[in-house]
Amino acid sequence: MFKLNKNYLAGALAGVMVAGMAMGAVAAEIRIGITMRMISENGQKYGQMMMDEFDMINKAGGINGNMIKATLMNDECKSDKGVANSIKLINQKQVHLLIGSSCSSVTLPIVDITAKAGVPHLVPHSTNAKITKKGSAWVFRVPVSGRYYAGVNAKYVGENVGKKIAYLCAADAASQNDCEAMQKQMKAQHGADPAYVAQVQEKEVDFRTHMQKIKTAGVDGIMIAALAETMARALIQSYEAGIPASVRRIGSSSASNSPVPTIAGAAAKGVFFAAAYAAADTRPVARLFNEMVKQRYGIHAPDHDFSQAYDLVRIAEIALNNANLTLDSASLAADRTSIRDAIANIENYNGLASGPISFCADATPQCRDGNRTAVLIAYTKGGKNYVTEVLARVTMPADFGL
Amino acid sequence: MEFDFSSFFAFILFGVTIGVVYGIVALGISLIYSGLDIVHFAHGELYMFGAFIGLFFSQTMGFPYPVALVLAMLCAGVLGMGIERVFYRRLTKSGGGYTVAGMGMIICGFGMSIVLMNVAFLIWGAAAEPFPVDLGMPYQIGDIALPKSYALTAVVSVFLMITLHYFLKKTKAGLAVRAVAANKDIASLMGINVSRMISLIFGLACGLAAAAGVLIGPLQSVQVEMGYLMLLKAFAAAVVGGFGSLPGAIAGGIIVGITENLGAAYISPSHKDIYAFLLLILVLMFKPSGLFGVVARVKA
Repeated sequence: MFKLNKNYLAGALAGVMVAGMAMGAVAAEIRIGITMRMISENGQKYGQMMMDEFDMINKAGGINGNMIKATLMNDECKSDKGVANSIKLINQKQVHLLIGSSCSSVTLPIVDITAKAGVPHLVPHSTNAKITKKGSAWVFRVPVSGRYYAGVNAKYVGENVGKKIAYLCAADAASQNDCEAMQKQMKAQHGADPAYVAQVQEKEVDFRTHMQKIKTAGVDGIMIAALAETMARALIQSYEAGIPASVRRIGSSSASNSPVPTIAGAAAKGVFFAAAYAAADTRPVARLFNEMVKQRYGIHAPDHDFSQAYDLVRIAEIALNNANLTLDSASLAADRTSIRDAIANIENYNGLASGPISFCADATPQCRDGNRTAVLIAYTKGGKNYVTEVLARVTMPADFGL
Repeated sequence: MEFDFSSFFAFILFGVTIGVVYGIVALGISLIYSGLDIVHFAHGELYMFGAFIGLFFSQTMGFPYPVALVLAMLCAGVLGMGIERVFYRRLTKSGGGYTVAGMGMIICGFGMSIVLMNVAFLIWGAAAEPFPVDLGMPYQIGDIALPKSYALTAVVSVFLMITLHYFLKKTKAGLAVRAVAANKDIASLMGINVSRMISLIFGLACGLAAAAGVLIGPLQSVQVEMGYLMLLKAFAAAVVGGFGSLPGAIAGGIIVGITENLGAAYISPSHKDIYAFLLLILVLMFKPSGLFGVVARVKA
């Protein structure tokens, strides 16, 4: 039998203690996984802002003394990558909370994954109504659902623009949803059938044939439901085709994104859309936020994806502070459940969003579509230094559009 | 909807203006095929590089649009020659000749496509960039408003085709290029520097791709992923016109452009991209050599 050396024993004990402390430190982390569209400059900045905000929470002492460890992954707005990221974040990183994604087509399959794994899931940007209609008890949407946007848009269009509307609908899930919901609402509210409908590729570049047909149809307005860059191209080509400014251009929710006025330039003037935040908002909190985004990220006027990312971090912070967290290796499932319940208890959160955000326990769209207030915004000037104005602010009933 | 002749004319016009751009890219693909017997899968990325280089000269450096167009063609030409010299020539030499049988060159082309796209991503980022060129009010042809950028695209494309035709048919270097395309070994025995001619072919093809990129920029904005669909459409144009046939490439481009616009206008606007590829399949089924191509023969 070998003789124990005191020095070795002391060393071994110290090693065990250090390892134990390290394990304890890992267990005391609140792990948050984020999967977002990071392929555009703005997309990268939304993600960066979330990471910066979580970092600031840590610098201020964390959540009840526990540090947040956020992992940010890029899904490139591709469903397969979003699913792979989520599985990795849930199973390998063992996150307590999942945030994602920017694109509805990515968020939709992630909802099934978080529901199966029992992970609270905060949706930062996706608007497709089906996300909360799936009935998952784990999903919470911070942005305004497409069903509310459509109601607000249709009311304004029917009363102020006309009933003869052409629709160009891109193939991505959010645009499809916005387009379908708007047609449904125009029919329900005003009895108006579409004057022209065409589905286009997600990254369509040539709209001239459509624009010529729309011009011939003599419509009152054109709804362009597409991701920002595609929408900008369509707007430019609508003017090139000779469709006058008196035919109003209606944007889907992504019209709020800065590439639309930046790329479309003068063609963005007059375009209106429903969104969850207006850079023209005069509240002091909005002025401060605009200034912060401008200074930190160089964005002239933040769109609603910035405000929603910011609000989401604040909502996560409130929920984590209120949750009863044990944060050891055996309590992962209980911690996740506790965070979910804490999010469900958030009521009348007043942040940057167009209206208060409230959730509740039922796994229904009425409970999980947190923001029901859409603000109708119009561009009064396009280009890099674009300017917006607020046309209206409308709060919809919780079961609207269901 | 009743038939509107004015709209029909507009659809043809739109088809021609986009078709000539497909044709220019297809011309480059056909040129490279003539010279090296390979299909260059990275050609869409050179089109994208050309567009970004043109944007740089036009917007950042402040050069007039035509000057930016010429500079972009020159830069992309040099880039293409560099790629051929550094990467592709090593492959062809290792095959003991000037062309590579098998998959090596095709796979290398795919690889180059991904490398170039990622390099562009690093340099310019993923966001689409507007390429504003103020050419004034559109031409009004009856009820049709034809933006001057569309007309300019057509005029420049035709000019480039005529210039290339003149170069190939009327100059000594053009004759050498045609000799290399016909038979590299005999061309070499005749004292032609085949490697240099292949570099020249690459440079010309990439310059043409850049021209197409700069011409399309003001119509559709510029972004890193713009090359992929253009490459597919240009392939369709090259196959419809007859792979390796230079006039065929242009004619194929125009036919593809008109077909997809008329299909979108009168069959279904939601499936615009189908028509080009349906045409491609039909041509391959019933006239595999293409509308203007010659029956395939064994090349040296």
